[in-house]
Amino acid sequence: MSGRTGLDRYRREQRLGDALESPYVVHLVLFLAVLFIVAPLVWELLTSLKTNDAVYNFNYFPRNPTLESYYIALFERGYWRAVVNSIIISSASTVVVMLLGVPAGYAFSRYRFPFDNLVFVFILFTRLFPPIGLVVPYYRIMTEFGLLNTKLGIVIANVYLWLPLVVYIMRNFFITIPHDLDEAALVDGCTKIQAFRHVILPVVMPGIAAGTILTFLYSWREFLFAFTVSTDLNSMTIPVSTFLFVGDTSVQWASMAAAAVVATIPSALVVFFFQRYIVVGLTGGLKG
Amino acid sequence: MSDSVQGDDSRLDERTGDQTREVSLELDGLTKVFQDDEGDVVAVDDVSMDIYDGEFVVLVGPSGCGKTTTLRMIAGLEDPTDGRIVLGGRDVAGLEPRERDVAMVFQNYALYPHKTVAENLEFPLQIRHYPSDERKSQVESVSELLGISDLLDRRPGDLSGGQQQRVALGRAIIRDPEVFLFDEPLSNLDAKLRIEMRTELNKLHDRVGKTSVYVTHDQEEAMTLSDRVAVMNDGELQQIAPPQTVYDRPANLFVASFIGEPPMNFFDVELSPVQSDAGLRIVSDVFDLLLPEAMARKLDSWDGSTDNLVFGVRPEDVTDTTVADETFPPETTFDAYVAVVEPIGADKDLTLAPDADAPEEREFTVRVDADTEAREGDVITLAVDMAKTHVFDDETGTNLTL
Repeated sequence: MSGRTGLDRYRREQRLGDALESPYVVHLVLFLAVLFIVAPLVWELLTSLKTNDAVYNFNYFPRNPTLESYYIALFERGYWRAVVNSIIISSASTVVVMLLGVPAGYAFSRYRFPFDNLVFVFILFTRLFPPIGLVVPYYRIMTEFGLLNTKLGIVIANVYLWLPLVVYIMRNFFITIPHDLDEAALVDGCTKIQAFRHVILPVVMPGIAAGTILTFLYSWREFLFAFTVSTDLNSMTIPVSTFLFVGDTSVQWASMAAAAVVATIPSALVVFFFQRYIVVGLTGGLKG
Repeated sequence: MSDSVQGDDSRLDERTGDQTREVSLELDGLTKVFQDDEGDVVAVDDVSMDIYDGEFVVLVGPSGCGKTTTLRMIAGLEDPTDGRIVLGGRDVAGLEPRERDVAMVFQNYALYPHKTVAENLEFPLQIRHYPSDERKSQVESVSELLGISDLLDRRPGDLSGGQQQRVALGRAIIRDPEVFLFDEPLSNLDAKLRIEMRTELNKLHDRVGKTSVYVTHDQEEAMTLSDRVAVMNDGELQQIAPPQTVYDRPANLFVASFIGEPPMNFFDVELSPVQSDAGLRIVSDVFDLLLPEAMARKLDSWDGSTDNLVFGVRPEDVTDTTVADETFPPETTFDAYVAVVEPIGADKDLTLAPDADAPEEREFTVRVDADTEAREGDVITLAVDMAKTHVFDDETGTNLTL
């Protein structure tokens, strides 16, 4: 008896499962998710093609699409310099982070030294603070060293922010490479540094690509620290300049959207061309 | 550039075991202690051996016996806690692997995945800045020797296990080192390929003739490949001798139990003098056998206690008397109960017990001719080839009848 009803219930559950797994349901969910993510970006793009005055009209699509907002943002306000600053700061930050992070990750994956695990946990621990809690000391330090309104000041912040992440990612990559490879290279005639350069580094190249791209993207979009030390176009980055369209009495939405689009384009390009590496970077494996 | 030492051409046939050969590799009191959370772990304990030029020595033992650690110390991948390693007349203590003139084949092949087969083979020469035409000709001759000429442009990921194994061998051979080190190189291959590669390794060694140290846990590999087998257990060297000697004359209980398949049977026994002459009888609850005179004399000359003696008989040194043509003297025979019969083709393995009710731990195995008519439940009479048996002291494990 109860076996019979149990079987009926099992079949009902199976039917429900089949319905949920049908292509219509799956695609509906995916569509909603994509809409949720893409809609603000589309709105931003549409807004950037309007004039600042036309933003409050009741239409989503610009009546007379114009690049005026881009002109205002980039040239009238001179924020093209912010774009240049962003490129310089992000590139420099990425180079420094990778130069320090790759060897550090390798060391943590291969060598035992006193308190190695403690040191590693400590490196990760620094990233557990909410960064905003460090803004005041950071500002004080930058003032002391005369690094306010300098690109170097922002690079230092980026290295602090992203180095732990890269050390962690690279360590995970190096762990997937069998020690046999290092040892084969040593026996074959390499010094430790040669083994690293000729054998391990080429093998871990996808990981390095992933780390480089992630660091660049994160540095590019960093706002808080750049905002803290930048008051002029010597060091201001594009995310900071975007924020400056918020005035005391009004927000220049169209220009802000234009600046935001300019800020987004490089990231979008990087993601488009290097998505494979970003995925391996975030999942931290070299398989496949 | 090359620090490779040319081999001495006056080398004598390595199969003869001639003592006038030069020592290629000498281990002297080699010890390795690892620091563990629970304290010190002695992985290798005072291991000494001389390995002669051109000799193939296999280190064999159960996992954790220290054989791989020993190999890694020879390679320079592990620093000895104590002891000396003399390689080609040079104390290599503290030298980096690259300064030692060794080549190594790893268990997982350790091929460089981003390099082609040719680049893998060439790498040891390239890193030493050999001129490119010499590199090329070396790659050619080595790949021909190993039959991988048509794989040179492939990457390791596209090769089968056996092919990868050959490339790994090639990368070791190409530099002509003082000694080859092998760390369980066949253990990742399937059974059939493993036997094929074993034969090929044998041929290769005959042709290249380099001093080789080979680590395995597989006793069959150890027996078939080696000029001498070094049996290790618990970090200690138990015996080093030619494979047949290790089988025929095991130095102690461990070697006797480790080498041979199915393993040697052991019985707790007592000695009992024979009135009529100087002979000795060996008595247990299963049998009462007469030891050959030579063995009896050796036991007599031992001055230790005879309270804890263990008698060892190999399964293949026992005959089923009912199907044998010859007659056996009664002092070499005993009766046993047949618990299990397992045909294995040319022979049959019988699991025997003193009687039908005996517990499992008192069972033992014999390997008899396939003609045997023994059925499960029978009681049969077996004859022991007494000259091939051994008596051990259970306390120290020493073979008292060597």
